Amino acid sequence: MAIHDEDSNKLTIKLVYYGPAMSGKTTNIMRLHDLLNTDLKGEIMMMETTNDRTLFFDLLPLGFTTSSGLLVKFKVYTVPGQVVHDSTRKAVLSRADGVVFVADSQLSQSINNGQSFENLEANANRVGLDFDSLPLVIQYNKRDLTDIISETEVQQRWQQAPWPVTFSNAINGSGVVETLQALLSQVYNQLNTEFKFLDQHNLTQTEFINQLITGDIAHQT
Amino acid sequence: MSIEQALSFDHEFTLQELLTGVNSSKLLQALLTNLDSPVRILDTHDKCLFDIELDQFEEKHPLKKTPLYGELEPIGYIEAYAPLPSLQSAAQLIQLILYSNSRYLMASDLHIKTQRDDYEELQRRNAALETSKVKYKKLAESLDLRVKQQVKVIETAQLKLYENEKLASIGRLAAGIAHEINNPIGFIRSNLTSTESYLNALTKLDAALKTGATNSYILKLWEEEELNYMLEDLEDILKESIDGIDRVAAIVKDLKSFSRVNDADEEDADINEIIRQTVHICAPQVQNKLEVILDLADIPLIFCHPAELGQVFLSLLLNAADAIAEKGKVKITTGINESNICIEMRDTGCGISESDLSHIFDPFFTTKDVGQGIGLGLTVCLNIIKAHKGSLNIISKLDKGTLVTICLPIQHKKY
Repeated sequence: MAIHDEDSNKLTIKLVYYGPAMSGKTTNIMRLHDLLNTDLKGEIMMMETTNDRTLFFDLLPLGFTTSSGLLVKFKVYTVPGQVVHDSTRKAVLSRADGVVFVADSQLSQSINNGQSFENLEANANRVGLDFDSLPLVIQYNKRDLTDIISETEVQQRWQQAPWPVTFSNAINGSGVVETLQALLSQVYNQLNTEFKFLDQHNLTQTEFINQLITGDIAHQT
Repeated sequence: MSIEQALSFDHEFTLQELLTGVNSSKLLQALLTNLDSPVRILDTHDKCLFDIELDQFEEKHPLKKTPLYGELEPIGYIEAYAPLPSLQSAAQLIQLILYSNSRYLMASDLHIKTQRDDYEELQRRNAALETSKVKYKKLAESLDLRVKQQVKVIETAQLKLYENEKLASIGRLAAGIAHEINNPIGFIRSNLTSTESYLNALTKLDAALKTGATNSYILKLWEEEELNYMLEDLEDILKESIDGIDRVAAIVKDLKSFSRVNDADEEDADINEIIRQTVHICAPQVQNKLEVILDLADIPLIFCHPAELGQVFLSLLLNAADAIAEKGKVKITTGINESNICIEMRDTGCGISESDLSHIFDPFFTTKDVGQGIGLGLTVCLNIIKAHKGSLNIISKLDKGTLVTICLPIQHKKY
């Protein structure tokens, strides 16, 4: 649930990268930090253990200011993937405005993917998110590896589901921005009704996405 | 700020929050030394949070103000009479402190939240467990009570059945015994009727004698009333009747000694005698199809319940009779084996199948038709023999017959 602080004219949107342990959630936001050209880009705050496993969360703050003067602030979080950190996952997921589910494409990981996705659905319900209307993108990561599930099979598996599916190799950055783009277009639609992006801030869906990704301010004046 | 936001680890931190825990006087002192100017730290509404003054301050530079950035946007300002680059590098330094503090605050808030959630979850589970514990305790108590009640009901019913079983075999005897007693009673009564008619003849003769009848008349009367035949017949009648009465007396005697089923007394008794009595008492019941052969050795008296052992032999004999379809034999042997008296009962009946053999001592196991027995006969036998510290074994072969072996330890009354 995005928070609008009228005092400082700031809208804070929370995006969460969810998924099984070691599927590449942190790598995703590290690449976003490198690849995005938005006006406002903070440092990644990482809280990891010695083995590069996320302990609490990682946080990448991003943002831009609309022509109307509204500061749109994105807080992009990753959850710890390891099963034992479920309480932390729940706390991080709480009040999320959009979720990227980062699945591990390796054939050996399909059970972990399934369990983690069930965990996402269960936790979303526990923290009071409406899973049916929650903006969500399924990302199949690690496409560079061998012994991975084929794209055809992935498409078939998610054919009946309402969520877009993307393919990525977060290590070299391919597919990472496209995934965020797919999420942002849903988030825009979801929040536009409440916060009147178009009516009050003259902010179209394309601008909303482009401002965060390329930093282009193509104001149609 | 709502309560929910206040509790949330990822709320937007204010400058004041991020400076909590920082030793402000040391920080300000350091800034003052570096900038050589009084310093003020302001929030976004230009409200002064901290400041430090210089006693004798000489203004070398105009007052400048530069933002302090949070994650992305300014969350406050630093103000001093210093060149902008110096002020900006001071701001950088403060931002490092803010960043590190926000990292700490988020981690600790998240930790507190998850701890609290976990604790609440544990408490909830604990409460649920307590509830179910109470429920199961109650259930266990009521189940325990019900089990005890049911056990009592079953025990009472079993005791009743057990007693009934003891009486049942006696009941089977009754019909045979009735017949056996009826028979002599029948002919004794018919004999007495005959005797009554003979008495009439004698009365006539007596009357003639008293009236002083002639010898020839009396002789004639003697002939007429066939008194010669009467005398012969009367002798036979009396002999037969006495025999009959003796038979009834014998049956009654056997029955008396046998029927002490509920007699609790133990005594030194002769097993052979108990066997003889039992065979005798059930003879009318079984004699038309069973030939009983006794081979009884010289054995000592043993201290036992004679009535109960009689019950055992009776049950076994009736079982043997039931196992024989038309005609067969039962041989009963007694003997001494070490310190035991051994009784063997071998019949030529239908035998017991292997699958049934393992169940024959189970209560209520029966192969007989409904109404013919409730399956307690051998259970009762085994219990009686066990009470005598003895053993009861059964070997059987289908269509060949059954061998029952009973061993009873030789023991005497303890004085």
